[in-house]
Amino acid sequence: MKQVGSNKETFSLKSRLKRLKRDSNRWSIFTLIIVLFLALPIIFIGVELFSGPGETWSHIVQHLLPEYIWNSLYLVVFCSVLVLLFGVSSAWLVSRFEFPFRKQLEWLLILPLAIPSYIVGYAYAGMFDYGGSLDLFFRAMNFDFIRIDIMNRAGLAFVLSISLFPYVYVSARAFFLNQANNLLEASKMLGVGERKTFFKLMLPLARPAIVAGLVLVLMEVLNDYGAASYYGVNTFTTGIFRSWFSLEEPETAVYLSALLIIIIFALILFEKWQVRKVKFTSSKTNNTHIQRKETKKSIQWVIFSVVFLPVLLGFVLPVGQLIYWAFITASTVFDLEFILISLQSFGIAIVSALITVFFALLLIYFSKWSALRFIKNIARIGVLGYAIPGAVIAIGIMIPTIALDKWLIDVLAQFGIDSGLIINGTLIALFYAYAVRFLAVAYNPIDSTALKVDNSIPDSSKVLGVGNLKTFFKIEFPLIKTGVFSAVILVFIDVMKELPLTLILKPYHIDTLAVKAFEYASDEMVMEASIPSLFIIFTAMIPVIFLNKLLIKK
Amino acid sequence: MLTIKSLSKSFDKGKNYALEDVSFDLKAGDVCAIVGESGSGKTTLVRLIAGLERPDHGSIVLEDKVIASVDKFVQPEKRKIGLVFQEYALFPHLTIFDNILYGISKMKNKKARVQEMLDLVGLSDMGKRYPHQLSGGQQQRVALARALAPKPSLLILDEPFSNLDSMLRTQLRNEVFDIIKKTGVTVLFVTHDTQDALSVADEILILQKGKVVQKDAAANLYVKPNNLYVASLFGDTVQINKNLQTAFHCPLKEDCCHAIRNEKIKVNPTTYDSDCDYITTAQVIRKVVLGDSIQLLLKLESGEQLTVMTKDANISDTIHIGFNSKDILEFNQ
Amino acid sequence: MKKVLVTIVAFALFTACGDNSTKEVKETETGQVVNVYTHRHYEPDQNIFKMFEEQTGIKVKVINASADELIQKMKMEGKQSPADVLITVDAGRLSRAKEQGLLQSIQSEVLENAIPSHLQDVDNQWFGLTRRARIIAYAKDRVKPEELSTYEDLVSERWKGKILVRSSSNIYNQSLMASIIANDGEEGAKKWAEGIVANMARSPKGSDRDQVKAVVAGEGDIAIVNSYYIGKMLNSPDAEEVATAQKIGIFFPNQEDRGTHINVSGAGVAKYAPNKENAIRFIEFLISEEAQTVFTNANFEYPILESVEPVEDIKVWGDFKEDNLELNKLGENNKKAVLIFDETGWK
Repeated sequence: MKQVGSNKETFSLKSRLKRLKRDSNRWSIFTLIIVLFLALPIIFIGVELFSGPGETWSHIVQHLLPEYIWNSLYLVVFCSVLVLLFGVSSAWLVSRFEFPFRKQLEWLLILPLAIPSYIVGYAYAGMFDYGGSLDLFFRAMNFDFIRIDIMNRAGLAFVLSISLFPYVYVSARAFFLNQANNLLEASKMLGVGERKTFFKLMLPLARPAIVAGLVLVLMEVLNDYGAASYYGVNTFTTGIFRSWFSLEEPETAVYLSALLIIIIFALILFEKWQVRKVKFTSSKTNNTHIQRKETKKSIQWVIFSVVFLPVLLGFVLPVGQLIYWAFITASTVFDLEFILISLQSFGIAIVSALITVFFALLLIYFSKWSALRFIKNIARIGVLGYAIPGAVIAIGIMIPTIALDKWLIDVLAQFGIDSGLIINGTLIALFYAYAVRFLAVAYNPIDSTALKVDNSIPDSSKVLGVGNLKTFFKIEFPLIKTGVFSAVILVFIDVMKELPLTLILKPYHIDTLAVKAFEYASDEMVMEASIPSLFIIFTAMIPVIFLNKLLIKK
Repeated sequence: MLTIKSLSKSFDKGKNYALEDVSFDLKAGDVCAIVGESGSGKTTLVRLIAGLERPDHGSIVLEDKVIASVDKFVQPEKRKIGLVFQEYALFPHLTIFDNILYGISKMKNKKARVQEMLDLVGLSDMGKRYPHQLSGGQQQRVALARALAPKPSLLILDEPFSNLDSMLRTQLRNEVFDIIKKTGVTVLFVTHDTQDALSVADEILILQKGKVVQKDAAANLYVKPNNLYVASLFGDTVQINKNLQTAFHCPLKEDCCHAIRNEKIKVNPTTYDSDCDYITTAQVIRKVVLGDSIQLLLKLESGEQLTVMTKDANISDTIHIGFNSKDILEFNQ
Repeated sequence: MKKVLVTIVAFALFTACGDNSTKEVKETETGQVVNVYTHRHYEPDQNIFKMFEEQTGIKVKVINASADELIQKMKMEGKQSPADVLITVDAGRLSRAKEQGLLQSIQSEVLENAIPSHLQDVDNQWFGLTRRARIIAYAKDRVKPEELSTYEDLVSERWKGKILVRSSSNIYNQSLMASIIANDGEEGAKKWAEGIVANMARSPKGSDRDQVKAVVAGEGDIAIVNSYYIGKMLNSPDAEEVATAQKIGIFFPNQEDRGTHINVSGAGVAKYAPNKENAIRFIEFLISEEAQTVFTNANFEYPILESVEPVEDIKVWGDFKEDNLELNKLGENNKKAVLIFDETGWK
């Protein structure tokens, strides 16, 4: 025991604790506080776990759980395949080849993100069902016998993939454009052709970037409610709603959420493991841009078609359907109020995007400045909110904020002030909820750009006697600006589309476009929902184009 | 085997030329070094030869085939040119073995070839390792083996030693060129270090601001540099300007530029007439002891400053210096 | 570019936040508001709210969400809840809100007298606003109305692979099932559900409208849907939808025995309503003749007032006998209904 420096001594609990005490600085504590703050809703839901599941738990396990697991797995697998196919192929082709309309397609490929996936679902159902545009087309061609049923599991996988693939496209393209040129040239000098270079070299190297995008997609897939319930596919999320509302057992819903969180956690661990495997990728930024290849005109048009296909399916067709609907319903639905609502949505989205990104920055850098290594992993708990259905988060937010409100009311009452609810039903609760829900969307792009900044840069600043905060503002922030901007824009788009959270937590008389669209759609007035949907799309398009400019400039 | 004719490349549509009207030949089996300071166009030249950039003007002919001209362009992967990158560009997700195998998967007996290359570079039992598990020098040799494996007709080394410290550098340089000599491949070797160039190259090509200023055998470059820039690349050189001419009382031709290497300036010449044609006196401002020799910073009466070396430790404050007329370098300019 | 962007953002923020604060101020100043939590997201409802505002000067402030979410919200807000009125689209949810103590009994002669007694709560905690019938829509070219009789009869061999109905997560199906439990007992209901599942033309999905379209497309022969969707389709801006609805016949089941299953959308006053008087006035207004006319004219529902005629499009389907089941039963049996759905595999 007394041997100094022996393994036993060094790793005894006592000396570990000593070092823990030595290494915890204020940043460790700040990180913990922020994580706690952001995870609070999740924790409150988690606490419910200890009260045990409701009495229908065994009923659910017996009758529903196998279907939930099976359907969710099916969606995860099929969406992964489709999303990779669409996202990676288009990212590679636009970064590597020159072809007609390449510049336009580069940002058009991001646009499917701007349409809420349940709206894409409605649009496709509207095209394929009886009397839909495609059906009418077949009838006109005398192909009456053809009727494609899209409202099933495979159709849902398709709809979700086509509206979510840009997450993979964006991260893969960023890798191809900024990281890959060096090795690409090495491959060419070894006399290796285009195909092999892609499959043997670029694809494996881009894997961490691709997987990061894929995890975001899968989180969205797993917590989709609108499209899944409309297409009649029962998943964990529809199950959560069912047990909570139809069976009146929030405890059971919490159990299902917990299962879902475990699945998501597994996904995140999978991502971490993937990244670690290829971590030794050179992090040096290469200042030569990838050079695009000129091919024969005929091949250029083939490439164009391949790249245009996801744009056609994910944007042109659904938007075309929406515009057609908007056209026939414009007289009854359109109202100048939409302009005001658009501005409100825009304002709410931009503020919550800034708040969310602010939290993401705090988490990333505080955990970095903390000398404790495990803090970084704890910080990652903060991103779990993305995987949890919005309605569940809303409840998780209401538990603590209402308690706080009640306390505030009591305190203020002592001073003779009758205040009412201060946090709930105001924008504060809503912004808090968005931050909890969308932290992951902001965290990932910032974290990946922050990783690219060599540690020697901030270190050299610190050696010069400049503190963490000043170093951050003077040195690091300018270097990670692009990542921060893309984070702001991605969160912005997500907030524009967000539904269940907004419905439950929004203040009176604040309307968002998504709420407006939902009000129609939930009452089977899908056609009437088209106008607010189009407003969402066009409002979200502005920053998408902006995001693309940023990526290119880099 | 490699013929380059009036090659030009501009990255801003002709406002500035990264490379302007470059022409030269390379014989099979030669090792040619391309020397120049940063921005002189070295990298652009090799990237053009490798096919990673397209020329604006001129042609490149490799083994009697035009690989680049105004109306023809052979893709880099079809050129059979090996390139060792400055930062090695090893594929981080592949083992050493697979890195070398990567470019020769269509070759017969490819595995034997990989092993052969591993043996050649002295990494026989490292095949299963990953690049990040190797030292810088080992990575360098893997990059070389990978480039040599497809039996290229031309091997280009782009600043291969610039990331290494000086001790390792000399050792590795010798190792690498021993390996290369064994294969007999023609080599283009880009460097900014004249020591590297002098020690391994048969011929040296000097680039300045995108133009070739001299191409010659290594020995000639020291003795007969084409201009002051070339002269100073191979050792500290001072231009004999009007002031110095006055100080040393040596009138020289007006329409030429003259220079003297610092090491040719003698300190305290013993016999005035035998060794030195021109002599002057100078004040010693500073002495720096560098091992067995001493560096002196001198000030002439005219105010000019000069640096000279001496072995003599007992130097007074005022000394004589001089040089021989046959050591004067003369350039047209 | 940057400047323009900044201006837009600033303006958007201003409208977003500014709007919020001014409204808050008004609320405390005058008190003349009524806060409505509603699951009825219909455009015509907005017009009715506006009419109310114009007539009374009481501002209507609305939160739209599903009834389940609204109930959850009210539960959590407790005494501090700003909700005055809860409006749902089915009686089951209202009776659930009542069970959980979220509503209060109110005294209103107007409501008491105007609304048929089986369409309001015995304790006066909630009141029906409109009636909706869950009917059988059939393909006119393939089905004779004589072949149809009751909900119970749908399990017969004749309808094997012919029935279209939406998912069991839908509240209208849950309420229908609850009424069947009330009439036929749990065992009977389970048998019925098994029979329906066995006769389904396809796995349940989509909306009521989608079921109707699937009937016309020939996927099945009959669909169980709410009547007003057919009315809406007949008046759709999309000509194709109108043509589809015209190929559909309407059948009111169980006319020989208890009557067709009826549900109501209804309203109740919240337990802790800060503006109780306004809330009562508001609900009374909703059953005034002018409001009821809007409900039926614009939304094709059956008015709760017998004095108001249903709109022509649905009047042509004729009068029918209603199931007079006490509607609180729908709430009481709701959970049982869902469990039976799950057990019988009705997705």
